[in-house]
Amino acid sequence: MIEVDQLRKAYGDLTAVDGVSFSARPGEIFGLLGPNGAGKTTTIGCISGLLAPTSGRVRVMGHDVVSEGTAARQALGVVPQEIALYEELSAIENLKYWGGAQGLRNPLLATRIQKVLELTGLEDRAREPVKRFSGGMKRRLNFACGIVHQPQVLLLDEPTVGVDPQSRMRLLELVQAEAQSGTCVLYTTHYMEEAETLCDRLAIVDHGKVIAAGTLTELRSMLEQRDLLRLAGVFQPDAARAAVAPIDHIEVVQADEKLLVLSLVEASRKLPAVFAALEAAGCEVRGTTLTQPSLESLFIKLTGKELRE
Amino acid sequence: MHFIWISVIKDLRRWRRDPFALAVWLAIPLALAVMMNVVFGGGGGPAPRGILLIADEDNTFASKVVAGVFHRDPLDRMLTLEPVQRGEGRRRIDSGDASAFLLIPAGFAKAVNRGEPFRLRLFTNPSQNILPKVIEDTVSITLDVFGTRRAAAGPAIGLEMTVIPVKKQGKSFAALFFPSMLSMAVWMIANALAGEIWKERALGALRRIAVMPVRMAGFLAGKLLSAALVFACVAGTGLVAVRWLGGVPIASLPAAVLWLMLAGTAFYLLLLLVSMSASTQRGANMLGNLVMFPLALVGGCFFPFEVMPAWMASIGRLTPTGWVVTRFSMILDGSVQPAALATAVAGLVAASALAFMVTLVRLRRSFLI
Repeated sequence: MIEVDQLRKAYGDLTAVDGVSFSARPGEIFGLLGPNGAGKTTTIGCISGLLAPTSGRVRVMGHDVVSEGTAARQALGVVPQEIALYEELSAIENLKYWGGAQGLRNPLLATRIQKVLELTGLEDRAREPVKRFSGGMKRRLNFACGIVHQPQVLLLDEPTVGVDPQSRMRLLELVQAEAQSGTCVLYTTHYMEEAETLCDRLAIVDHGKVIAAGTLTELRSMLEQRDLLRLAGVFQPDAARAAVAPIDHIEVVQADEKLLVLSLVEASRKLPAVFAALEAAGCEVRGTTLTQPSLESLFIKLTGKELRE
Repeated sequence: MHFIWISVIKDLRRWRRDPFALAVWLAIPLALAVMMNVVFGGGGGPAPRGILLIADEDNTFASKVVAGVFHRDPLDRMLTLEPVQRGEGRRRIDSGDASAFLLIPAGFAKAVNRGEPFRLRLFTNPSQNILPKVIEDTVSITLDVFGTRRAAAGPAIGLEMTVIPVKKQGKSFAALFFPSMLSMAVWMIANALAGEIWKERALGALRRIAVMPVRMAGFLAGKLLSAALVFACVAGTGLVAVRWLGGVPIASLPAAVLWLMLAGTAFYLLLLLVSMSASTQRGANMLGNLVMFPLALVGGCFFPFEVMPAWMASIGRLTPTGWVVTRFSMILDGSVQPAALATAVAGLVAASALAFMVTLVRLRRSFLI
């Protein structure tokens, strides 16, 4: 179990994490979703004990990560964003080293190595130097090194960055399998599709703060089944706002000279009215994108910007 | 202890998988040994050239015939003849400034004409193997010719030559340069190994270790022990090769290996600290070289103190490298006292322990992130 309470991490004047609170239970996949620089990796750093929190409290399986660091780290498995493997060594040698560092000894270590190699589909290449592996294989081995000791809590920091679709699917299945075996999983990503398909509960973070949290259903309900309509073209922002205001259940999320983003119910039925109102106001629409309610649209609604910006 | 052990195994495996680096490390001392063997130990190289000092106190036609032999081809291409007085000749051969010194005392021609026994004296330089022997054989053959001719005209005469190897002065070239060169090899390896910490940092391996229930001191100790094993291996290979191929005498092989291993480990820690003080990997490489090369140059790793100007040698001996090289040379020639060696080892271990602590603090506090 992970308990994060009012976590704050500052570097001088820069506050990377600002009062973040959440908890994740055994058998659950808890997602931290946010753009690059939102504070996800810093949060993971504080939970894993790599970074000392400026204030707030973090407990892993009941152990405070600052005052009971060793006990907390014994319960943890960390899969870092970078591929932290020794490329001259084989997959088995890497697993021996990282498993040994977690305190595993033979024969349990050998058994676990065999098990995770099978799980990650690397048993045929187990004795080859890692430098000959593809990017996806390295990612899978990076994951295997994080779970070789069967941790109670697993921290995954954007583990699918730069991975081909096949390896990504394999990794997501592995994460789900870990959670099903009772592991508490904290998963950070900026891919909303991953978060939507994988996570039981989510916290959306931006600028170091949690801006929304809950299950996927709870988060979607915050959008009130609203669609997101993105219009590209030439606009006079004030005139455009005034033009669409009379249309029922419409909300202007963003308006500038080249882009107009609207949140509205049953957008497909209201498109003709929107176009007519904008044309009457002297606006020129050159492109249209309609998005169904999703985490992406929720993020845009909450922050006024795209998740990948 | 288990984590230290698996860290040692990990690093040794990684270095073994980089055969080019391993070959270079081992090739440095081996190349030195082979080079010294070729230059000083035997044939195969270009014809050597030396100096023959001749003190002709007889100054007659007969004595000039003896000296004139060395003006003929091919001897004139091998030797430079320098006429000297007896005192100067003896002084120069004693200081190792020539291949040989031939003394032809007054009365040589008379003895030849009268058929009386006579004795020439040839002082040879024991630091050289080839040229003194050539000179000895040439003089001997010349005296035989004199003897044979005189025997044809009358009774045989006893013309003889006494070969006197002078007392060995100083060290041979090989023995002089070898400690410097092997120390330089260890310095270079220490610098290369120290730079590896940046590679592990870039991989994220250091951060991964930091979130595990093991101590960073264990990780650093593992790196230190594996580096010490590399230094012992390189020192052992170099010393054995130079002893057997180069013919350089080594008073105590185990003490020499141990000293170089300890010194290499201390250098490694120093350069690790220097490397971690930089803000980038490129900066670390530059900083490491900036520390290593001047210390190696002044500290007797490129050139032995014996060939440096006195002022530079006195400064160089005060540097860490100079201190190590001086004691290494003393171990090799057997002039170090056991008590002094024990004190030096204790000093090296204490300096290493201090460097270990400082490096560990640096690693934990700022280098990881």
